[in-house]
Amino acid sequence: MTINEAATPALAAQIQAGLLAFLEAKTKQVVAPGQDIFGTGLATSMFALELVVHLEGTYGIEIAGPDLRLEHFRTVEKMTALTLRLKAEAESTDSA
Amino acid sequence: MPDQLADERALITGLVDGNAGRWDLDGLIPEDLLRDLGARGLLCAQVKPSYGGLGLDSATNGELTAHTGSLCSSLRSVQTSQGMAAWAISRLGDADQRRTHLRALTSGQLAAVAFSEQDAGSDLSAMSTRIQRSGDSVVVDGAKKWITAARYADLLVVFGQYEDSAAAVVVPRSAPGVTVDVIADPLGCRAAGHANVRLDSVRLPAASLLGGGGHPLSLLVTTALTYGRMSVAWGCVGILRACLRAAVRHASSRKQFGTPLTGHQLVARHLADLFVAEQGATRACEHASRCWDSKSPEVATAAVLAKYVSSRNAATAAASAVQVLASAAAQDGHVVARAYRDAKLMEIIEGSTEICQLVLAEHAVTTTL
Ligand SMILES: Cc1cc2nc3c(=O)[nH]c(=O)nc-3n(C[C@H](O)[C@H](O)[C@H](O)COP(=O)(O)OP(=O)(O)OC[C@H]3O[C@@H](n4cnc5c(N)ncnc54)[C@H](O)[C@@H]3O)c2cc1C
Repeated sequence: MTINEAATPALAAQIQAGLLAFLEAKTKQVVAPGQDIFGTGLATSMFALELVVHLEGTYGIEIAGPDLRLEHFRTVEKMTALTLRLKAEAESTDSA
Repeated sequence: MPDQLADERALITGLVDGNAGRWDLDGLIPEDLLRDLGARGLLCAQVKPSYGGLGLDSATNGELTAHTGSLCSSLRSVQTSQGMAAWAISRLGDADQRRTHLRALTSGQLAAVAFSEQDAGSDLSAMSTRIQRSGDSVVVDGAKKWITAARYADLLVVFGQYEDSAAAVVVPRSAPGVTVDVIADPLGCRAAGHANVRLDSVRLPAASLLGGGGHPLSLLVTTALTYGRMSVAWGCVGILRACLRAAVRHASSRKQFGTPLTGHQLVARHLADLFVAEQGATRACEHASRCWDSKSPEVATAAVLAKYVSSRNAATAAASAVQVLASAAAQDGHVVARAYRDAKLMEIIEGSTEICQLVLAEHAVTTTL
């Protein structure tokens, strides 16, 4: 698995911006990249699943099993890291 | 698209038609029939072919579910539980768990899904079932209520608290410490095998914990329930179609005051209402399935909306159908009598009518301003 070094920061910024916009549209609140969205009760029951489906649909990834654990979803930064990793894994299996 | 499953539908019709009334009175579906349908992949038809499933999309599985539901809501309930278990395993499980359990669920083993408890009905955050890690094992303690299909199940997908979040664990019904108490004489879906399940220090290999556990409870619950809501919603479309068919047939063939019942305008209004209820529910389900199949985040809300519309329409329309058939439907076992009892329960499960209203109101508030 190799991540295209040059593309990653730009992609990370794009994913983060997309997530913040999605969160703010859903919660009507300004969300910080490091904010614990589950701990602060921002995540309603519908919302957690919407977030997962949003990431899957937008970035062509599948988030399942251990990747759905709370630790990957606590903050926008963590979700961005998860998305980058799954996207890289998906691309490396596609090209393999 | 409907033709895609012509053989499967004919098979289900052949096995169920003419028997569902008796199963309702007996409170039991023959277990070999359930295992046969399971081994054909028909109880969890969205499972991918690589795991032995039929790999249907949500819209096609929805029509299959409606077909089953038009014949027998008890069987459709078993289908809902099996499909929900398979969906939970495919979303929450790791690669090995998916391989093992999904293959089992497409080879004749049966499964149930356990959330509810005495003090955790609508409020699942109050669940007190504990899943604890202990070396290479996990230990499960708790008591679950009203678990559909638990009477027949080989595997129970049990949800509980785990460390600082939550987890789902696959519990073989044969594991020491598992007790299944069948619920006698349920109001409806009488042959769906509802049971209360006790888990007393049930010790299992750590690999039983789906995806290693530690998922947000809201995500676990909504993931599993979204499949359940789609399935119940389509099942209610089946109830509506059965009621519409029975009411139209009866009203066309029976004469009172020298004219077929269809000629009496007050009866005709019931038929119009039945037709509109079926069409409205079908459209809501089709929309939700489109959201599912196109991976739209709207799916979570669309599934609640479909379940809400379909279950309410089914409960109201089943009452109208009883009115149209009158004494002809006033006996247990009759398709319309079953619909009347079964539909009401669909307003209680997978998020009651009131819980759906809360979710939909919140959605309206956040999306409309
Ligand atoms: C036929 C059947 C099959 C079932 N199958 C399963 C299964 O397979 N697995 C499983 O885990 N469970 C199952 N259940 C349990 C089912 O999920 C619960 O019955 C359901 O969640 C409602 O919980 P409750 O019965 O405790 O009602 P309660 O939660 O006590 O609700 C009572 C009433 O109060 C209303 N209410 C509650 N909270 C609110 C609120 N905040 N605002 C407004 N109204 C509110 C409810 O809508 C309801 O009308 C089944 C139940 C039935 C009847």
